[in-house]
This record gives sequence, structure tokens and C-alpha cells, in this order.
Amino acid sequence: MRLQFHRALYAGSAIDQALQRFAALAHFDRSENATHFVVELRGLVDADGDATRRERRARRIGHALANLALGLTIERGGPDR
Amino acid sequence: MSDTLWGLPAPQIDADLGEAAVTMRLDPTLYPLEVIYAAAYPFIARCWVVLDRDDAGRVSVVLTAKQAATAEQLRALVGEFANELLSSACRREITRQNRALIESVTTQAFGGAMGPPSLEELEAFDFTDEPFDDPLGIAQSWEDKYRKKPRDEGEGEGAP
Repeated sequence: MRLQFHRALYAGSAIDQALQRFAALAHFDRSENATHFVVELRGLVDADGDATRRERRARRIGHALANLALGLTIERGGPDR
Repeated sequence: MSDTLWGLPAPQIDADLGEAAVTMRLDPTLYPLEVIYAAAYPFIARCWVVLDRDDAGRVSVVLTAKQAATAEQLRALVGEFANELLSSACRREITRQNRALIESVTTQAFGGAMGPPSLEELEAFDFTDEPFDDPLGIAQSWEDKYRKKPRDEGEGEGAP
């Protein structure tokens, strides 16, 4: 699962903090390009259950990560300057 | 897959009923980023919120319901978000208009909190200012303003 956060809308520091918070649940790769911070969810820490269940859980973690990154960005007053 | 939500403008809003998600594209000249942030923040607790920006500079707001949602529920979600946007934009404008007043009151409050002036400050104060201008006579007392003018001395002597 791949998440993209526009650099003009999200703070990189907020994304890092959100990734730390979710590190116990899934493995992530973080990179960035000219316009976006990119987060790749490589797999779940707890890989129990069938594929459908894992997929649903991964999507939920991705959504929650995006919500936290946005919330932290807003609390910091916007993207890093 | 894109669906239409009856009653909402199609170019700005896409719905994906299968994913229970709606995408709104906002013009940042109408809704600055801080307004979008202020509107999005309370929705974080209710649904999944993702922001993005397209090549034209418009900000996309994707709201995905945490549970399965009907078209009616998604339409309500969009409506509530649009209301929150307008409310945030209005609050921002009022704050902008009242900024000078707020700064003035805050400065006076801080000035008062600093306590009365010291004797050295009073000594150094320049009291030779011009008296303030009062063309409407607001600072005058009622007696001064409406006092009967003394009659001329010769007046009334020849009266019967």
C-alpha cells in the first residue's frame, strides 16, 4: 500500500512522528520526490489471518496514519518551512 | 469508479460509493489552506481525511467513511464539510477585520499589567503637550456649556 502526502500540505516532521507511532503495527518505507512524501506500507508486524483480513487491516492502518499525519500537521500550523 | 451525488456540483465533487469516499476539489483562492485545515480537523475523528493538490493548484479533500456508507450519508458528509468550510472562512475574515482592535486591546492590557509609572518616569514625562482638540465641546461640563450668559448692564433699564 502506497501513501502520498503533498509537500505543500503536510509537514515532513508530522509524517515522521506518525510513522513512529505506527511502527509497532506495520513496516514502512519513507521516501520523497519533488512534490510528495511517499510512504510504502511493506507489511504488517502481526501477519496473522487470511489475505483479505490482512489487506483490510493494512488499509485501516494506512488511513489512520494519514489522519494522524494530517492532524499533527494542522497542530503545527501547516507544512515545514 | 466515480458516481454522482445528486444535488452537488459534479466538477468539484466525485463520489466512490464502493469505497464510501468523496473527493472535493477546492479553489485555494476561495478557501485558503488554513481554512481547509480548520474545516478538516474536526472531521479527522469522524472519517479518514486525505489532502492532495492537483496540477492546477486546487486542493483535493478526500473523505472516506470509516464504515460502509450510503449515497445519502456521503452527501450529508459533503454538506457538513462545505458548511464547516464556510464557517471557517467567515471566522478567518472576522478575525482579519478585528485584528487591529484585538492588538490594541492586548497592548493596553499588557501596558496596564506593567503597573503604574515610577517617579523617574513621571519626572521624565512631557506634560507640555498641546491641549486636546474638542470642537464639539464634549469635554465641557453641562454648566459651562449651558450657563446663562450675563445680561448686558444697560439692558432692561428702559423697560416698563
